[in-house]
Amino acid sequence: MKLLACVKPVVDLETMSGPHYLGSGASSGGTTCYRINHFDEFALEEGLRIKEAFPGTTLDVITVAPQSAGSALTRGLGMGADRAIHILLEQEGYVSPSVVARLIARRVEGSGYDLILAGVMSEDDMHAQVGPMIAELLSMPVATAVLHQTPIDEGRAVYVEREIEGGEREVLELLLPAVLTVQTGINRPRYPSLSKCLRAKKELPETIHAAAQPAIAPTETLLRVTEPRKLRAGLRLEGAAEEKAASLLAILREKALIPEARHAQP
Amino acid sequence: MRNRSILAVAEHAQGRVKPSGYEVIACALRLESFRQLRVLVVLIGDQPEAPAREIFQRTGLDVIAVQTPGLASYNGEAHRAILTDLIAELDPACLCAAHSSQGADFAPGLAARVGAACITAVERISVDSDCVIFARGASGGKLVAELAATTRLAVITVQPGAFSADVDRRYPQGSIEFRTVNFEPHRSRALGFKPGATCDKGLSEARVIVAAGRGIGKQENLSLVQDLAAAFPRSAIGGSRPVCDMGWLEYKSQIGLTGATVSPQLYIACGISGSAQHVAGIRDAGFVVAINSDPNAAIFNVADLCIVEDLTTFIPTFLAELHRASETPTSKENGR
Ligand SMILES: Cc1cc2nc3c(=O)[nH]c(=O)nc-3n(C[C@H](O)[C@H](O)[C@H](O)COP(=O)(O)OP(=O)(O)OC[C@H]3O[C@@H](n4cnc5c(N)ncnc54)[C@H](O)[C@@H]3O)c2cc1C
Repeated sequence: MKLLACVKPVVDLETMSGPHYLGSGASSGGTTCYRINHFDEFALEEGLRIKEAFPGTTLDVITVAPQSAGSALTRGLGMGADRAIHILLEQEGYVSPSVVARLIARRVEGSGYDLILAGVMSEDDMHAQVGPMIAELLSMPVATAVLHQTPIDEGRAVYVEREIEGGEREVLELLLPAVLTVQTGINRPRYPSLSKCLRAKKELPETIHAAAQPAIAPTETLLRVTEPRKLRAGLRLEGAAEEKAASLLAILREKALIPEARHAQP
Repeated sequence: MRNRSILAVAEHAQGRVKPSGYEVIACALRLESFRQLRVLVVLIGDQPEAPAREIFQRTGLDVIAVQTPGLASYNGEAHRAILTDLIAELDPACLCAAHSSQGADFAPGLAARVGAACITAVERISVDSDCVIFARGASGGKLVAELAATTRLAVITVQPGAFSADVDRRYPQGSIEFRTVNFEPHRSRALGFKPGATCDKGLSEARVIVAAGRGIGKQENLSLVQDLAAAFPRSAIGGSRPVCDMGWLEYKSQIGLTGATVSPQLYIACGISGSAQHVAGIRDAGFVVAINSDPNAAIFNVADLCIVEDLTTFIPTFLAELHRASETPTSKENGR
């Protein structure tokens, strides 16, 4: 079988301080550090498991991202993907999921992929759209929030369990080629191997310049990014840790949420 | 010229409209209030009559009930095909669906098919100089992104809980139109349902829940959370999804959209970022305390008490304080 995993680089929060817009290809001034979207690691891992179970299977990994965000591809190769495809964006900043899906669909069309895997959503934009849009653009069936899959019928179909409300699962069968968006918990993504990462750093990915392609008009614009509203009191405790601990205890006692000191109890 | 419509796709099950159905209608009515639009409720399924009458009676809105014989459960192919036809026929300005396992599944593909904008998990709608603005969470709820469609039609999904399901009757002149569409899915086949992990009864009965998030760092640190919980009578331990995914806690302890919905008097979130999917499970909690080392964590927007600290040091500090306080009685306690 021929598999493809779609991965998105997201800004590595831990390397930054203060609130930033973390949408696709965030712009924060200075160098932005990217890492792979956690949700996509589950899609990659699922692809690798199919590859291991079905000899002769290949897994490619694709991303639509600016140059500085190529590390997501390295991660994919480091985990065990065969080939990397980088649809290169000229600059950082918000990119509509409809544009991302169209860029990927253009590259993938006619390439003979049996199964296209994606994470259930990205951590930054959280649109959860690219996977199901690719399916539509390529006239493939799709299942979202997949928690279990097995190729059946000699690779002609896939058995799928997808998560619905309350943790219940809907069971279905899709004819291949198909798209699955993978929910977390379906597997435990492996760590990349050092040797594979080193090799990945040497091999250049197949690169497609998005700017050299016919333009795709975005369907929406990002007007602005704001801070969320406070839905509760949000009182911040101040002082050293000991003072905060004392205040917390006092407040919990005042609200009778924690029993009074032992000796004081009747 | 007739006003353009807003299609509100309402989900239903066992003959009843789901609460999300009314939330979608509420969102559509909000859009209607900005513009000269009219709301049309759409129901799809093999038995849409009872929910169609329920909506009609409760709201008086126009309803189109599309009966799909033989399609007992949700089918993405069918939804996309039926709604594509309705869009072609009615030229709506907006189509609203729930951001649920159904809406999130069919909406992006539908939008791609009809060339519409797709804006998912919408939490608020406003209008600014004739432009409808859709606000939605980003970066795990840390930020709000405001988007506007640049297409003739916007397909949106409505974040659960963002709009009140209390929709009052307003249109006495509505009508119900029944239609039948025979749709045979070509590339997918439904094989039924499987139950999920049953929610921990301890969680629903607990007075106090101490919940662990990915921020606990490693499984061993669960003991901190357990020690903290032990300080409260009738307490239970819960967790965010990643903590269950990693096997640190069982899935029956997961709190949130795809886990348990809880309503303890006190909820202490330890190392939880506060994503919408997690917060969906704690809306009815009495008092929420959040311990997080990130001063900008989204959980602080839904907390009554915010503690910006590293939980691995703060929990022991708090337990020491608790211990100290119970050894050396305060004057107030002396007086009792
Ligand atoms: C369809 C769908 C359904 C979902 N359903 C659920 C659900 O039911 N329940 C759920 O929980 N999630 C659910 N999720 C996942 C959700 O989107 C988030 O990914 C998840 O809730 C994040 O969990 P977390 O807060 O534990 O981890 P993270 O988002 O990684 O947050 C960890 C937090 O810990 C803090 N931290 C780190 N170290 C420390 C320290 N030493 N001391 C204090 N704080 C620290 C960090 O600042 C951060 O805020 C769902 C996702 C999808 C797509």
